Amino acid sequence: MRAFAAVFVARYQQFIRDRAALFFSFAFPIIFILLFGWALGNMGTQTFKVGIANEGSDNTTMYITIGLNSVVLKGDVNMFKTESGNLDDLMASLRGGNLDAVIDIPPGMDPLSYGQSDNVQVYYDASQTINQQMLIPALSQVINKIAEWRGGYTPPIGMNQESVQTHELRYIDFLLPGILGMTLMFIGVQGGLPVIQQRQAHIIKRLGSTPLRRSTLVLGDLLFRMIVILASAALIMLVGRLVFDVKMIGNWFSLCGIILLGSLVFVSLGYLIAALVKTQESAIPVVQIVNLPMMILSGTFFSVASMPAFIEPLIKILPLTYLNDALRQIMVSGTPLHSMTTDIAVLAAWAVACLAVTIRFFKWD
Amino acid sequence: MDVSASKVIGVTNLVKTYGSVKAVNQISFEVAEGEVFGMLGPNGAGKTTTVEIMEGLRTADSGSATVLGMDVSKDTRAVKERIGVQSQSPALFPGLKVREIINFFRSLYKKSVPTAQIIELAALQESRDVLFRNLSGGQQQRLSVALAFVNDPEIIFLDEPTTGLDPQARRAMWEVIETFQRAGKTVVLTTHYMEEAQRLCDRIAIMDYGQIIALDSPQRLIESNIKESAIQFKMKDYPGDQVLTSLPDVSKVVREGDDIIIYTHNIPSAISGLLSMASQRSTELSELSVRQATLEDVFLKLTGKRIRD
Repeated sequence: MRAFAAVFVARYQQFIRDRAALFFSFAFPIIFILLFGWALGNMGTQTFKVGIANEGSDNTTMYITIGLNSVVLKGDVNMFKTESGNLDDLMASLRGGNLDAVIDIPPGMDPLSYGQSDNVQVYYDASQTINQQMLIPALSQVINKIAEWRGGYTPPIGMNQESVQTHELRYIDFLLPGILGMTLMFIGVQGGLPVIQQRQAHIIKRLGSTPLRRSTLVLGDLLFRMIVILASAALIMLVGRLVFDVKMIGNWFSLCGIILLGSLVFVSLGYLIAALVKTQESAIPVVQIVNLPMMILSGTFFSVASMPAFIEPLIKILPLTYLNDALRQIMVSGTPLHSMTTDIAVLAAWAVACLAVTIRFFKWD
Repeated sequence: MDVSASKVIGVTNLVKTYGSVKAVNQISFEVAEGEVFGMLGPNGAGKTTTVEIMEGLRTADSGSATVLGMDVSKDTRAVKERIGVQSQSPALFPGLKVREIINFFRSLYKKSVPTAQIIELAALQESRDVLFRNLSGGQQQRLSVALAFVNDPEIIFLDEPTTGLDPQARRAMWEVIETFQRAGKTVVLTTHYMEEAQRLCDRIAIMDYGQIIALDSPQRLIESNIKESAIQFKMKDYPGDQVLTSLPDVSKVVREGDDIIIYTHNIPSAISGLLSMASQRSTELSELSVRQATLEDVFLKLTGKRIRD
C-alpha cells in the first residue's frame, strides 16, 4: 500500500511538472471549446421540417406528433414543424429539399397500448451535416421519451414537454462530447510515452531490483491517469456548462461508465504503443499518427456523415468514432446504455485487442 | 579466507544463454560476509548477467544462486528487501527532485535509513530540491549509488559505481564503500578501474567468455600469474618484437598502442640491454618507467585484452 501510494505520488509530481502533458490534458480541450464555442456555438438553432407518414397506427402517430411539437427553442420557436401525408409524397418532398426528415411508422405499430417493441423508420439527408447531427439526436430523444411511457402507465404529455422544452441543440452541444472523447484519447495514448522513456533510461530495470511489484507500478500509474482523465472530463463539462450552458441530458452513471470504457481503450492503446515501439524518439510520431486522424475523422468537430465515402471504412474501425458517438448520444439525447450496444461492443473489443497484444509483446527492459 | 563458514552468496553452476551465446557458462563461487568481492572482465564477459541473476533481475537457465541463505529465484522479493543495487545506468525519474526520489525509494522497502543520510552520502546537501534532470552527470551518478544504501542493506551490488566520476568524487566513493565494509557488510563490485579493484577488493574474479578464469586476492593474483617486473616505455621506431625479446633477461613483450611493456626478472640487466639497443639504433626512448606488475598486467596476460576495450 505504501509502495502503491509512492508510485501514485511520484506520477503526480512528474505530471505537474510536465508542461506538455498538462497542456494536452487540460488547456488544449478548453481552448477548443472556447474557440469553437464562441465562433460557431450558436449555429444550428433552427427549425426542422419533419414529415410523418400517415399509414401507421393513429395512436403512435399522435404521440410522435405531439412529442415533436412540444420541443420549443429559445424565443418560443418550435424546433420541429410537422406535416403528415402519404409516404411517397413525403419522400418526394424530402428529396426535393422541402423536408428535413420523414418518419415512417409501421402499420399497426402501437407499443403504447400493447407493449410490443418495434422501430419507426427515419429517412433524412445525411449530406446536410451539422444540422443532421442535431436533428437525429433530437428526434431520437423524443422517440426515446415516448418509448419510456411503455409499461402500463401513461404519464401526462406535459412531462415530456417539460423535459425537452428548454433543450436547444447548437453546435456547441454537438462539439462538447467530441472534445471530451478527443481529450480521453490524448491523455490515454500519450500515457505510453513515460513508460517508453523510463524503460529506455533503464529506470524500470532499476525499480526491478527493489521489492516493488510490477503490478503495483502499473496500477499506481493507472489510478493516477484515471484521476487525470476524470478531472479533465469534469473541467470540460464545467466549462461547457458555465460558459455555454451545455446541458447533460443523459444519466451521469452512464456517462461515467462510457468515459471509463473509453479511457480503458486509449490507455491500452498507449501501452500497446509502448509494447511495440522501443524509443521515445520514434514513439512521438507514432502517437501523432494515431491521434491526429482520429481527431479529424472520428466526429470530434464535424459529423462523421460529412466525410467522403471512401474514408468511411477507416472511420468505421476507429475507436474514437464510437466513443464520440456514445458520449454524444448520452449527453445530447439521453440515450440509455442498452440502446448503444454497438458502441460499447466495439470499444470493448478495442480494449481487449490492445491489452492482448500488449501482454504478448510488452518487454520491461 | 574461509569463505564457506560465513557465506552470504553462493553461486553454483550458473548458466545463462542468449540465443546461441552463452553469456554465463557454468560458473560457481562464494562470497563471505564482510567481503568486498570484485568482478573484472572485458565487456560481454558475463559480469553484469551474473550480478543481475544474484539480484533477482534475471533468471538463470540452470544452476542456482543463493543470497543470504535464500534461493534468489524463489524468495526474490525477500532477497530484494535486504540487498542494495546500483545499476550501470544512473538514470532516475527526470521530473522528480532529489529529495522526492529518495523518499520514493525509501517507501519501497520495509526498512529504510533517513532521507538526510542518503543526501549526505550522495553529497547533495545543496541540491536536495533540484530536479534530477538538472543534476550534473557526476551528481546523478552519486545519487544513483547512494540510493543503493536506502534500505540499510546487508549486501550491496555496485555495477561500475565510479564510472563518470572525477578523481575526487571517485575517492569519496571509495571511502563510502570502505565505511560500509567496516560496518561488516558485504560488497559485490564490478569495475573497469584496476586501481579501484586493487584498493577495495578482498578477492577478485576475472571473467572472460562467461567463465571465471581466475579468482583470488589481488596480491595473490599478481604473484601467481606474473613473477616479473614490468618496464614500460615509448619508442620512436618500433624495432619489432624479436629484437626486444632477444634482449638479456626479457621474458615477454606486450604492446598497447604506443606503450611497450617488457617483463623481466632482472631489471638492471634488461634496462642496460634496452638502452644499448636504443643507442645502437640511434632511436629515442621516452616515458621510461619500471614498476611492479599490477592487476592490469594480470588481466592483460589472462585475457589478452585491456580492460577498457
